[in-house]
Amino acid sequence: MNTFEYLQPKSIDEAQNNFNEKSRLFAGGTDVLGLLKDHIESPEKLINLKNIPGLDKIEYVQGSGLKIGSMVKISAIAQHPLIREKYTVLAEAAESVASPQLRNVGTLGGNLCQRPRCWYFRGDFPCLRKDGGECFAVDGENKYHCIIGGEACYIVHPSDTAVALLALDAKIKISSNGKIKEVPVNDFFILPGDDILRENILQPGEVVTEVFIPEPKANMVSRYLKFTERGSWDFAIVSVAAVIEKSVNTIQNARIVWGGVAPKPWQDLEFNKNLQGLKISEDILKKVTSTLFEKAEPLEHNGYKVPLVKNLTKKILLQIA
Amino acid sequence: MSDKKITKSRFWFEEHEVETISEVPNKKIKPWASDAKLDVVGKPISRIDGPDKVSGRAKYTFDRLLPDTAIAKTLRCPFPHARIKKIDFSKALKLPGVLAVITNEDAPSIPWFHESTLFDSHARYQGDEIACVAAENEAIAEAALKLIDVEYEKLAFVSSAAQGMKNNTPKLYDSGNIHHGKPTIYQRGDAVSGFKEADVIVEDTFTTQCAVHNPLEPHGSLVKWDSDHLTVWDSTQSVFGVRGKVAESLGIPENNVRIIKQYMGGGFGSKLEAGKYTVMAALLAKKLKRPVKIVMDRQEMNLAMGNRPDSTQTIKAGVKKDGTISALSQKSFGAAGAYPSGTGTSWPLRSMYQCPNIYTEEYTVFINAGPGRPFRAPGHVQGTFAFESLLEQAAAKIKMDPLEFRIKNYAEIDQVGNVPYTSKRLRECYELGAKAIGWNKRNKIAGSGKGSIRHGIGMASQIWWGGGGPPAKATMKLTADGQLQVFSGTQDLGTGSYTFIAMVAAEVLEIPMDKIKVVLGDTEICPYAPGSGGSVTAPSVSPAIRDAAEQMKYKLLSFAAVLSHEPIENMRYKNGVITSVNMSSTKYKIEDLVGKLSEKEIVTHGDREANPEGMAIQTFGAQFADVDVDMDTGKIKVNRMVAAHDIGRMLNRKLLENQFHGGIIQGMSFALLEERVIDNNTGKVLSTNLHDYKIPTIADIPEIEVIIASDSDPKISNTGVKGIGEPAIIPTAGAIANAVYNAIGVQVKDLPMTPDKVLKALGNA
Ligand SMILES: Cc1cc2nc3c(=O)[nH]c(=O)nc-3n(C[C@H](O)[C@H](O)[C@H](O)COP(=O)(O)OP(=O)(O)OC[C@H]3O[C@@H](n4cnc5c(N)ncnc54)[C@H](O)[C@@H]3O)c2cc1C
Ligand code: SF4
Repeated sequence: MNTFEYLQPKSIDEAQNNFNEKSRLFAGGTDVLGLLKDHIESPEKLINLKNIPGLDKIEYVQGSGLKIGSMVKISAIAQHPLIREKYTVLAEAAESVASPQLRNVGTLGGNLCQRPRCWYFRGDFPCLRKDGGECFAVDGENKYHCIIGGEACYIVHPSDTAVALLALDAKIKISSNGKIKEVPVNDFFILPGDDILRENILQPGEVVTEVFIPEPKANMVSRYLKFTERGSWDFAIVSVAAVIEKSVNTIQNARIVWGGVAPKPWQDLEFNKNLQGLKISEDILKKVTSTLFEKAEPLEHNGYKVPLVKNLTKKILLQIA
Repeated sequence: MSDKKITKSRFWFEEHEVETISEVPNKKIKPWASDAKLDVVGKPISRIDGPDKVSGRAKYTFDRLLPDTAIAKTLRCPFPHARIKKIDFSKALKLPGVLAVITNEDAPSIPWFHESTLFDSHARYQGDEIACVAAENEAIAEAALKLIDVEYEKLAFVSSAAQGMKNNTPKLYDSGNIHHGKPTIYQRGDAVSGFKEADVIVEDTFTTQCAVHNPLEPHGSLVKWDSDHLTVWDSTQSVFGVRGKVAESLGIPENNVRIIKQYMGGGFGSKLEAGKYTVMAALLAKKLKRPVKIVMDRQEMNLAMGNRPDSTQTIKAGVKKDGTISALSQKSFGAAGAYPSGTGTSWPLRSMYQCPNIYTEEYTVFINAGPGRPFRAPGHVQGTFAFESLLEQAAAKIKMDPLEFRIKNYAEIDQVGNVPYTSKRLRECYELGAKAIGWNKRNKIAGSGKGSIRHGIGMASQIWWGGGGPPAKATMKLTADGQLQVFSGTQDLGTGSYTFIAMVAAEVLEIPMDKIKVVLGDTEICPYAPGSGGSVTAPSVSPAIRDAAEQMKYKLLSFAAVLSHEPIENMRYKNGVITSVNMSSTKYKIEDLVGKLSEKEIVTHGDREANPEGMAIQTFGAQFADVDVDMDTGKIKVNRMVAAHDIGRMLNRKLLENQFHGGIIQGMSFALLEERVIDNNTGKVLSTNLHDYKIPTIADIPEIEVIIASDSDPKISNTGVKGIGEPAIIPTAGAIANAVYNAIGVQVKDLPMTPDKVLKALGNA
């Protein structure tokens, strides 16, 4: 690890005023320290956000929705009774993140802004995402890579909470030069085709301050299903977030989002529309999911993710019914 | 007549039969009877080092530090294959806090591995040692590594054994990539005619991955010179082995080197040999006249500290309609990595079942990757998976129950040496294991279950050596305060040696465990005992402990007899008190007896006796797996494992279960999760941390039931103990694979059985 300066600002303004090109924000540090130790990033300044008041609150306003500060711990989200009840998908996604130790330290903002886990990116390979000359995964060991949305780079976005938040139609608040802007989750994350060096729209010095989730409809139910190779402490091979408004067992509205398949949380608006008005049954679900991801372009070793997407989507919808 | 004699004995250490010449007791102590009622041995006693470990008092090599210690770090080759053209470390030396750098230019040329040296200018794998830096602290040492400029000539590389087997590939050695230039061949009977006798022939190819030991405590040493004497605190499975290699490398007498190891966080075979790091640290320490500590990080552990070589095994079985196996053959190859290491996998096929006609042909292939090292039952884990998987096919083909099929081919004698076994209780293992798992609940036809979760039950058999043998020695000292000290040059890897040694002494001398202090792992104060591998520790050391303790008891009885002017036959020993059958007033506490001596101590010296001639000592067992396979995701869940084994006498139920739990978890992990992944395009390892190299978490662990079918093997030694460390892991992957086959009706022939491969086998991906 290279040496760096460590700043502990007391306000967002102070953080931003001290920020330069060679700075990194430091929330829980669970990702950023790994990047430093592995020499993937070598910032000259680490700017700790922990001493900035007000970023670690969870607030619910009946009829409006839920605000979660960016410095709220992943474990706090997983354990929050109201989130568990009303926004089950988010609590379940948070609970599936990493390990208890990491959840107790890692924050929501850090989880959304964490860097990808591609083992070439994390290893000693000068790949495109590190401004190098080639993608090593495209014809290499790509079992864990994306099957859709890749272009020159084939990462999957590692965040579980992002998948749930997109399904919940959440918005991300960003402090930028003293102003606050609010962007839908889907617009926050970007594809390699947009910019191969970044995974989201944040410009240097911008800070995620809060996530806002609108009030759920009374008939909304939601779940998160994460499929991993190992029983715990593992990133998703494929995950599915499902937010459904239903009456008895008919789907009125559905928002399905997949993780582990694309460089950002992935949705298929067409599919969501197709689900509208469907009665949930094994046969019907088998049929509607059978054509999922027809546009997928798997690499040599990750084609198995396509049947996983179909089967897990069917499974979560059956569980919800 | 002397009470000792020099004799030859033979035993198996890992996959090698060793012949030893050593001092053994002249008069063998009568073994404990199989049904002997023992007070301590066999009981579920908690390990005596437990409180030290859970409280953090236990000092591992990793924790040790001396005043003024410099920290060393190794610069490793970043390429799979390269030649060093130039090294310039002048910038590193200028960094404040950097104390010394050694490279191939200034270090002595010390032979290491096959045709190589300590710092070789020909780097044969990503991780080969290029330079070593000593600095005031770890951060400085690490920063210094970045300041060393090395000019490499990159060479074409070989990244897999299959590639290395081909003729027109890059070469690691002038003599070629196949070790010894030819395969190892074993033949028994005539396989060609044996296959002709068969009604059914099954043949298939199975592959297993390269797995890395990844013990919790990394490899490392702390070294210190006192004039020309070197003390090394090392995380090692073999203090005497390391002493020999370090002394030889440095060109100093063995007695000038002291190796110490007290507590250790696992080794699994990867710490059986001395590491280059120890010698590098010793060279730096000499230069600096300061102690030097060197510890591997996780990346180094995954690149350069050994692995279980991968394997590609093509196995053929000829079977008659009644289930008799008429012939077996195996052709296989495996990647040794850049330096020699055993890759053979055919021992289970040669020795497990009755079969007159066998042919095996095995190739060890050099590739540009980290060298293999023995890994808990080397070869047997891979071989058992493949062989037992093929037998499952054979049983299905002749429509025979797989367990019945195995019993049909039960080997009554050791066919490799054509000698009887000292004991074999495998039949009982089959019976008890099958009952415990509920064998009759398996699918009569594999894959005949319904639904999205398919249930299956399968089993595999185990054979391994693990009899131990001489030399293994112990010194015992009883002092006037009633304390007993036991010294032996074996080591406790976390396996419980401290505890079983105290138990055997407590059994014989009938004194409380807390009066016994066991000192292990120190070449200067302990007598010789072998390296802790091959499951030989308890079977080699426990009889020596008993020998020393029985001698102690005899000395105490003689002394009491002299004092009371009675024949020794009249003396009775009970709970550390000696009485006379005749004189009720005669009563000596053993500590009082010692107190009467001017030297205030009694010392004895015990040895492991020789093994019986003309007999094979083997451990046996069978493991049974109960699994669920999710047809939608390809995920295998192991619900339950039953392990039924013949391991001679059980020394301690708790330690035994520890070993079996560990072995089964490691075996399950080999079956389902772990894999060292190399990028074929660059030849570099991708799985260099514990996130990408997946070891199991508590959420992955099945219920485990351990059944011991043996009571003792009195033909081996006075304690009748066989080893358990390796038997525990051998059949696990095979049993799980066969349970998966029973569940889904197709075999997954390539380990680890990850969901992508299961989906593929099911035709879903
Ligand atoms: C071994 C391991 C396993 C993991 N498994 C999972 C998993 O299964 N699922 C999952 O979702 N995650 C997983 N993670 C990721 C883990 O959840 C994240 O590391 C954690 O959530 C990041 O939080 P942090 O607060 O520690 O972030 P940091 O490490 O402090 O920051 C991460 C990144 O986000 C930036 N950042 C942080 N806060 C802000 C902010 N408010 N505004 C703008 N930028 C910000 C930082 O500059 C940095 O680039 C795993 C991590 C590890 C190390
Ligand atoms: S997938 Fe992206 S991050 Fe991974 S090697 Fe290719 S370019 Fe780099």
